[in-house]
Amino acid sequence: MGRQDALLAQMRRGTLQYCVLALLASEERYGFDLVRGLGAVNGMVTSEGTIYPLLSRLRRDGLVESTWRESSTGPPRRYYRLTDSGREALRDFRHEWSRFRDAVDALVEGREDT
Amino acid sequence: MTSTADRLVEDYLRSLDRELSGLPRARRRELTEQIASHIAEARAGLENEDEAEIRNLLDRLGEPAEIAEEARERAEPRPRRAGWMEILALILLLIGGIVLPVVGWFVGVVLLWVSDAWTTREKLVGTFVIPGGLATPLLLGGLAVTAESCSTEFDPMTGAEISSSCTGGSFQAADVLGPVLAVVLLLAPVFTTIFLARRLRRPAYQPNPGSA
Repeated sequence: MGRQDALLAQMRRGTLQYCVLALLASEERYGFDLVRGLGAVNGMVTSEGTIYPLLSRLRRDGLVESTWRESSTGPPRRYYRLTDSGREALRDFRHEWSRFRDAVDALVEGREDT
Repeated sequence: MTSTADRLVEDYLRSLDRELSGLPRARRRELTEQIASHIAEARAGLENEDEAEIRNLLDRLGEPAEIAEEARERAEPRPRRAGWMEILALILLLIGGIVLPVVGWFVGVVLLWVSDAWTTREKLVGTFVIPGGLATPLLLGGLAVTAESCSTEFDPMTGAEISSSCTGGSFQAADVLGPVLAVVLLLAPVFTTIFLARRLRRPAYQPNPGSA
């Protein structure tokens, strides 16, 4: 199990931020909602709290921006949405990812065509 | 039960805040605030808020140390942006007070604190190690010279010296201390500037900022 965890952690490292961007592509979300969205995909998040430093970094890098909005159920929430450069980063990743995935598939599954 | 739950959450947040020490204050606050509101949202969704539920919730969040590590690690590859603002801040802190008395240095301090390239500790050093920068020793030097004015009286007939008096006699001791103090006051701002400039080239956040 330990090795599998380490493997997942490594794969997550490079991809998690794009999964966050992808979740924000269609609608803006607040932190807890985003974590729930990621948690719905098995293995994507092990420690939910680590999403917040990631969000903070994405914001500082200008890939997402945030706005406070009143909530009907409690205190105001910080909502995140993609910026133009976030959208661009996601588009680039989608393109690279499909090539990368195909290449890895071809090697791992021993197929020579692709 | 509510008190136990509150205490668990409080302990968690306090421990998180401690783990985040060394990060710029604004980021530290943003993260604790985000985690706190995450916990509040999650608690609102619980059917009955017993201790086990709260513990599960906090477990899912992860160890505070793990969150703090993520906050540091992810910040590291980002090169420190030693942009025009940081360079201007260093110049103004050193000689701003000479170019434009008081105001020049003060603008430097504002830029220093606005920048996220330095930690709070470094900003305190930059602000308080000789406030005013090089202008301060130069100004003090100027005061000392004007204060120490000597007048000598001569006998109009013989031209012999009758009396010689110096005002600012308290500067007698300063004859010895003065040069030493002057060197210290002149070098301190220079060293502070070098210190802050070197800090710019260090990776953004180190796990143990206290050891530097």
